[in-house]
Amino acid sequence: MELFSVRVVAVNQPDLEQQVKQNRMNSTGFEAFSEQLCDFILRSTASFCSSQRAQADTGDEFNDLAVKLFEIQYQSVSAYRRWCDIRGKNPGNVKAWDQVPAVPTAAFKELDMTAIEPAQRTTVFYSSGTTMHRPSKHWHSPVSIKTYERSLLAWFRPHMMPEIGSDQDASYLWLALTPPPNLAPHSSLVHMLGTVMAEFGGKETVFAGQPAPDNIWLLDHEKACKTLERAAMVNTPVCILTTAFHCVELMEYLDKHKRAVRLPPKSRIMETGGYKGRSRQIPKKDLLSMARDLLGIEPSYCVSEYGMTELSSQAYDLVAGSGNDTTDVEQSLAQRCFRFPPWARIRIVSPETGRPVTIGEPGLLQVYDLANVYSVMAVQTEDLVVPKEDGFQYINRSPGAEQRGCSLMAK
Amino acid sequence: MNLPDYFLADLPSSTELSSTLITEACLTLKRNRERYLVQRSTASLIGAIAAVAADWLNPENPFRRTALEKGPAATGFSRETLETGLDTLFKTITPESLQLLVLQDLGHVDRLERLTGSEIEPGSSRLAIAKGPELLVHITAGRLPNPPIMSIVLGLLARAAQFVKCASGTSFLLRLFGHSLREVEPKLGACLEIAEWKGGNEALENALFAQADCITAMGEDSTLAAIRPRVPPQVRFLGYGHRVSFGYVAREVLDYHLFAKTVAAAAHDVAAWDQLGCLSPHLFYVETGGRYSPDNFAEQLATELDRLERVQPRGQLSPEAASAITARRSFYEVRAAFSTDTKIWMSQESTSWTVVYENDPQFQFSCLNRFVYVKPVQNIEQALRGADTVRGRVATVGLAAPSTKEHDLAHRLAVWGAARVCPLGRMQSPPPTWRHDGRPSLGDLVVWTDWERCERSFL
Repeated sequence: MELFSVRVVAVNQPDLEQQVKQNRMNSTGFEAFSEQLCDFILRSTASFCSSQRAQADTGDEFNDLAVKLFEIQYQSVSAYRRWCDIRGKNPGNVKAWDQVPAVPTAAFKELDMTAIEPAQRTTVFYSSGTTMHRPSKHWHSPVSIKTYERSLLAWFRPHMMPEIGSDQDASYLWLALTPPPNLAPHSSLVHMLGTVMAEFGGKETVFAGQPAPDNIWLLDHEKACKTLERAAMVNTPVCILTTAFHCVELMEYLDKHKRAVRLPPKSRIMETGGYKGRSRQIPKKDLLSMARDLLGIEPSYCVSEYGMTELSSQAYDLVAGSGNDTTDVEQSLAQRCFRFPPWARIRIVSPETGRPVTIGEPGLLQVYDLANVYSVMAVQTEDLVVPKEDGFQYINRSPGAEQRGCSLMAK
Repeated sequence: MNLPDYFLADLPSSTELSSTLITEACLTLKRNRERYLVQRSTASLIGAIAAVAADWLNPENPFRRTALEKGPAATGFSRETLETGLDTLFKTITPESLQLLVLQDLGHVDRLERLTGSEIEPGSSRLAIAKGPELLVHITAGRLPNPPIMSIVLGLLARAAQFVKCASGTSFLLRLFGHSLREVEPKLGACLEIAEWKGGNEALENALFAQADCITAMGEDSTLAAIRPRVPPQVRFLGYGHRVSFGYVAREVLDYHLFAKTVAAAAHDVAAWDQLGCLSPHLFYVETGGRYSPDNFAEQLATELDRLERVQPRGQLSPEAASAITARRSFYEVRAAFSTDTKIWMSQESTSWTVVYENDPQFQFSCLNRFVYVKPVQNIEQALRGADTVRGRVATVGLAAPSTKEHDLAHRLAVWGAARVCPLGRMQSPPPTWRHDGRPSLGDLVVWTDWERCERSFL
């Protein structure tokens, strides 16, 4: 019986000149695709805003776009092509989005998973982590960044700013518990927050974080506190953007110094899981309780965001201010479910068999993100999640999941 | 079979244990030891223990049958893995091997009963007698039954009352063993207690430690570090921390005659207890320059593990453990696709087994559950340089080498600090005389009284 193995007999150096030629031929392909994608983004978000259903009637169009993008990426991202060839997959036999081979996030650490020529690479995002681990790299050009920004704004708005354009619209003070983009140019999260603040930030935008080594940052507690106290005093609602870790750190600071604030109604938080591998796990219900008690923000205005360096799209577990008017943390949590935009689909597969799991069974998340135009659309994450209706719920990874010594893996 | 409620671990899991209950249990154990254990001869204890072990090899034995029928659900190991593992363990426990143990550690087979001399001090000038603890407490860790069962055997030989506190979820096999002992020798069973609770329960553990005069503890270094300060100063503490093992294969055995057998032995060591013991190999260092190359070895190992999967399947894993394997596989799959220095073989549609060939002697911890590395080396020196990060923490090196080379290799490994060297294929089957982490396991349990006799005089 033939065993499955992955190995190369000899390493063929990719013909760079050939590759550059191929890329030039494909650049029009990429541009054409990007235009189609942006059109799809516009229409599908409009549909979502009116019906609140993310995946409504976009099936065929998504599939067409995915198959098209796979073809372009197969031709232009040589590392990805090699990955697909090993699995015997190519544009000739991939006819549906879920047949597209997914690359593990590890591939972004080891290789340049990009179709962007070195001369065009103006931005690179690194995943966070300690120096022992080689970080993931996601390259961008001025063109690809624009697509990325368009995608992130299109999904951010209906989740964090659903009132825009209605009579419920208000002006907010924006507080990010991160450094500003110019001081953390390699963080995709900070770039996202900067983009969002530039687009929606009205009266005032504040960054209350300082950069520190290894793409992490330190919270400026006083600056954050004073900003919140000021907002409470002048009755301006606040939109706080942060990692879960720093959110809890701030609230613990408020608690310790007895400086709880009652922020005006409609204030909201967007928190993201933040650093992978950070040792401290914060139960979501504790975070929600603390936000209610120390900031005066109700659970229905605390939105979780799921994203990563390797992806361009993000998932949110709530539309701010929606859900039953519940102050009950447990109830709020039970209703939530992370949803990606219509241009990013998920597959959840058993870590044991690699086959799709059934509802309620935990599995590893795969994301097929059309907004990853110039890199690789299909990404295999290391996150264990549980499928729910049209999305997923995140599971807190048990501490014993990775055996000791895995830090030796990276060089 | 349904086990009667006898040990604390037999009680329903909802039962609340209290520190009073623990103290009472310890006092009862000590009383029973006085009544039933202290005056037993070593020979009769050896006989009793060996009889229990021999019984376990009998397919009709109801305890063995229960272990194999209910074991997979209770332990996560497959029936075949349990069968192989338990048979291997109990086969090593014989009257001869136990006598050898007493002789080795204590110098005389009657040492625990009366003042005796020994070969080097033949009965004239100096006699000695050894005494085991009154109450010996064992804190166990991990899912393998071997360490706690051997601990109980050693404690019985030392005539100690024993309280075994096992990690939560691991009492099933231990309880069966305890009951099988009680069945044959109820009075010995009365000197043993088995309880299960999540480590760190200070109330229960402090009550336990207060009654003990000797404590053995196994587990992560951090666990031991947490226990040590809470042990009263007069109590002897024997800690067995985190250890790893690996294999070493000399080029001479990579020839036409021995290749397949060597690889089969290596695969056996990986599959035993699903690689979860401290004696299980994380990796094999394989010398280059043989008829077969290290990557031939890796490929053949993959074939063997695939064959073994059919006859001795790997157990069921939690999603977290399976994800750990999948994540690691992904990492090496990426590397393998772009470099000749890495190759990977994997079971399909499962995480049952994985072999990673990595051209780098740097020691790698495996994520276990039958995930093993093969690393080419030129010689033992290169291997030991690569393993420098785990020096001082190596429990066993499984060695496959010709008779012309094995002595030198074993000596080199001993000087380097490996606590045990054994043939490949026997890593998970140490004899009772095994010096656990290089210490005399029975010897460390006892205290001695020496009697220096007068020379014959005219007085």
